[in-house]
Amino acid sequence: MINQPTGAQLVISTLRALGVDILFGYPGGAIMPIYDALAGSGLTHILVRHEQGASFAADAYARATGKVGVCMATSGPGATNLITGIANAYMDSVPMVCITGQVGTHLLGTDGFQEVDILGLTLPIVKHSWLVRDPAEIPAILSRAFQIAQEGRPGPVLVDIPKDVAAAFVKDVPTTGEFPSWQPPQPDVADIKAAEKLIEQSKKPLFYIGGGVEMAFAVPQLRALMDRTGIPVVSTLKGLGAIPTTDDLFLGMLGMHGTRAANIAVQDADLLIVLGARFDDRATGKLSAFAPHAKVIHVDIDAAEINKLRMAQVGILGDLKMVLDGLHPKMQDISLWVAKCKSDKKKHAFRYDAPGTGIYAPALLKLLSEKAGDKFVACCDVGQHQMWVAQHCQFLQNRAHLTSGGSGAMGYGLPAGVGAKLALPDHHVVTVSGDGSFMMNIQEMATLRRYGIPLKIVLLDNSSLGLVRQWQRLFYEENYSEIDLSDNPDFVTVAQAFGLDAFRITSRDEVDGALDRLLAADKPTLLHILIDPRENVWPLVPPGASNAEMMEERWDEPLDSY
Amino acid sequence: MSHLIHIEIDDLDGTLLRVLGLIERRGFFIDAIEMYPIDDKTRGLSVTARAKESHRRFETLYAQIDRLYGLKRVAEPRKAAAAQKLSA
Repeated sequence: MINQPTGAQLVISTLRALGVDILFGYPGGAIMPIYDALAGSGLTHILVRHEQGASFAADAYARATGKVGVCMATSGPGATNLITGIANAYMDSVPMVCITGQVGTHLLGTDGFQEVDILGLTLPIVKHSWLVRDPAEIPAILSRAFQIAQEGRPGPVLVDIPKDVAAAFVKDVPTTGEFPSWQPPQPDVADIKAAEKLIEQSKKPLFYIGGGVEMAFAVPQLRALMDRTGIPVVSTLKGLGAIPTTDDLFLGMLGMHGTRAANIAVQDADLLIVLGARFDDRATGKLSAFAPHAKVIHVDIDAAEINKLRMAQVGILGDLKMVLDGLHPKMQDISLWVAKCKSDKKKHAFRYDAPGTGIYAPALLKLLSEKAGDKFVACCDVGQHQMWVAQHCQFLQNRAHLTSGGSGAMGYGLPAGVGAKLALPDHHVVTVSGDGSFMMNIQEMATLRRYGIPLKIVLLDNSSLGLVRQWQRLFYEENYSEIDLSDNPDFVTVAQAFGLDAFRITSRDEVDGALDRLLAADKPTLLHILIDPRENVWPLVPPGASNAEMMEERWDEPLDSY
Repeated sequence: MSHLIHIEIDDLDGTLLRVLGLIERRGFFIDAIEMYPIDDKTRGLSVTARAKESHRRFETLYAQIDRLYGLKRVAEPRKAAAAQKLSA
């Protein structure tokens, strides 16, 4: 049997054949045969310090590269620790393959040690999954898993491998199997013509773009169509970066924490051209009041998204690149509309002249992104800092704004930074986190030290769960419930204990020098920034309200409504 | 209003739960289920479902079922002879 490979060895050889260069994981009992085969295989394995970190790192690696991210964990708690990351990838359509060890097949269903039905637990949050029962099927299943993860609307795929299946010798080494290459649906020419007609009739057209543009590698096609038509654009959280945020026609993010210019344009538009976006409630606010005057052209690779929440006058199913290349409308004069959009953008531009000498996080983040330039990549956690990054940072490239959008998973930022920095070693990859989020995966600083990953960390510390605090102030009569984090550890000392360089700033005049020091660092470095806990994210559309109802509080004006 | 959905399911772990879970999770009551063998590797499934709320559209549900792997939605049930006899 010595020349016969085991199932585990087939896992490793198949991953290599599929072009995998890096994977993130954590070993344990049921996956030991696979880790045994991994040693000396040439595959780069990043040992994280918690399985959730592996799934987030793989997710970010996939977002940054467009390739499939791979993570591994053992059965039971190892597998369940992956779940938040799998859900995150599912909600944001990220191609990922998760390999889990499982108890031996003879123990399945017996409540064996570290047995959990991970296939059953993850059914609603994967594109597909397998429980492998025959080791000879491993090459074919893994190959198909990679294909499914990437084809159409991307997403996570789970492959659960019982220990005895991984350990078994395979007599006849199978091939990876032949699968017909997936072809995207061809957009219907009649639909393209109908869309062109609507665009030609429109006096106030607007692009509403989502993460699908980036996922479809359709950024050049979108930029070319904008050049052909001169139509302004608003973006979802995940769409940021597809159009440079410095572009005149870019009005900002729409929705709950969107810019006034973007939300006003959506409410005024007579045509929304929706590209790779899904009318998420954070983007639309009260759906029945969203874009009340607009007809809709909805382009998506996923048929289930078209007409799901908003009926489209023209729905186009197909690859975005093909659809955008096919659109050549003869535009009427929309200069008055464009001028109105640009005027609103100027009129409602963010202000950075906050009073006092304390550090104003929006200004700091804006400056950070400008200093980092086109090599800037932000890995956000979830909370106020995440929204400030979306509102104030400059993004000149796509795949540069890695954020937990649909899932809103606190703890994403640090392990995402691990995955993104390994994917993009020549970029200024910066994890922007808050003191609440950072504590959720703080152990991954050990991963930075182990591999010498020179990630830069901007930790905005308001000693509270700021976004929850903001909602409690506005919508729960200032009944502040369980948001105080003033007993945080000394983050600089903690980071130094993990072997990172770390320093703290507390006043505005330190910002410029601190950012220069951070960006020049060639080691993993944490910049701890104390900010005012009373600072909030504005504008804010109250939950359930129309996007026309934007609340805002300025230093020189009371809380008001638009 | 109830709809009758016919699906052919491959013999893979989790496929039945995957499709039934999807129907419930996406906002539909399942009123009746019938399963029947078609061949060694395929089972037929007929589900009678109705929307929990009026804005839940069957067209969207069908598209969500269609994007699952390991099953195929069909217009008419393709029952094996023995199963037809049983259900009769």
